[in-house]
Amino acid sequence: MESLKEAQSSGNGGIQVSCFSEAINDVTLHFQIIRLCRQIYAWISCNSAKFGNLYAAAPMPPTKNGASVSCMLGGASDNTGTGIARRLVLKTGLHIILACNIPKNSPMLEAEAEKMLIKKLINLGYTKPKSESSSS
Amino acid sequence: MSGSISSFPVPHKQLSLEIKGNVTDVVICGYDDHFFVIATQIGTMGTILHARKEEGVLTQPTFDVSVIFGKRDEPMLVACARQLIEHISVSGSAKPLVVSLGLKDHSTETLKGIVTAVVENRLW
Repeated sequence: MESLKEAQSSGNGGIQVSCFSEAINDVTLHFQIIRLCRQIYAWISCNSAKFGNLYAAAPMPPTKNGASVSCMLGGASDNTGTGIARRLVLKTGLHIILACNIPKNSPMLEAEAEKMLIKKLINLGYTKPKSESSSS
Repeated sequence: MSGSISSFPVPHKQLSLEIKGNVTDVVICGYDDHFFVIATQIGTMGTILHARKEEGVLTQPTFDVSVIFGKRDEPMLVACARQLIEHISVSGSAKPLVVSLGLKDHSTETLKGIVTAVVENRLW
């Protein structure tokens, strides 16, 4: 796995933008993370700079062990992004807006992209691994 | 794959400005098939709108603006998205726009300030 280029910019305000790409096997995954004070936007794309489908996901009260996902643009309930968005919320506890341009029926690619994104979110300090989170 | 490191395929601009005393963070991204704009004063993306140009064969282009997440009863937000998609169209691009507006107020002055800031830092 080759990390191609990573860039992070921090504005004067509360937004941090992180962009990076990872080469895996014969594809390139592009990631963009925009951190707002109370929400995170993430974009994942495979071999392309297209926007993809847009999803909103949030922890589901009162137990917060579930996640609610809504497709806002493009896509359908069985699209790749739905699952990624749901698992991102479950693993991080964050409110997520996800733009996803990953081909359907590519479970390995989907899993790798999700793993990379979560790892990056942890590295950036935007979330802790669930195992380290304090239990309620 | 070549050995050279290619630049990130999505350019973006980021700025922070004050509008009516409220710190406003703006991010503008240029994807291959969309422009994406975030303008927030409240730390979240707020209301998200999708705006696109509809080409007419014999008529002037029309614009379709719809709220895809958040407040659907704020016409000023729709007007803001419409101004931006019109500017994109006039500049020669046919790409649609996704714009998220997380604002403390929806006054004309605030929305004009956002449109001005985005246009001055546009990627189209």
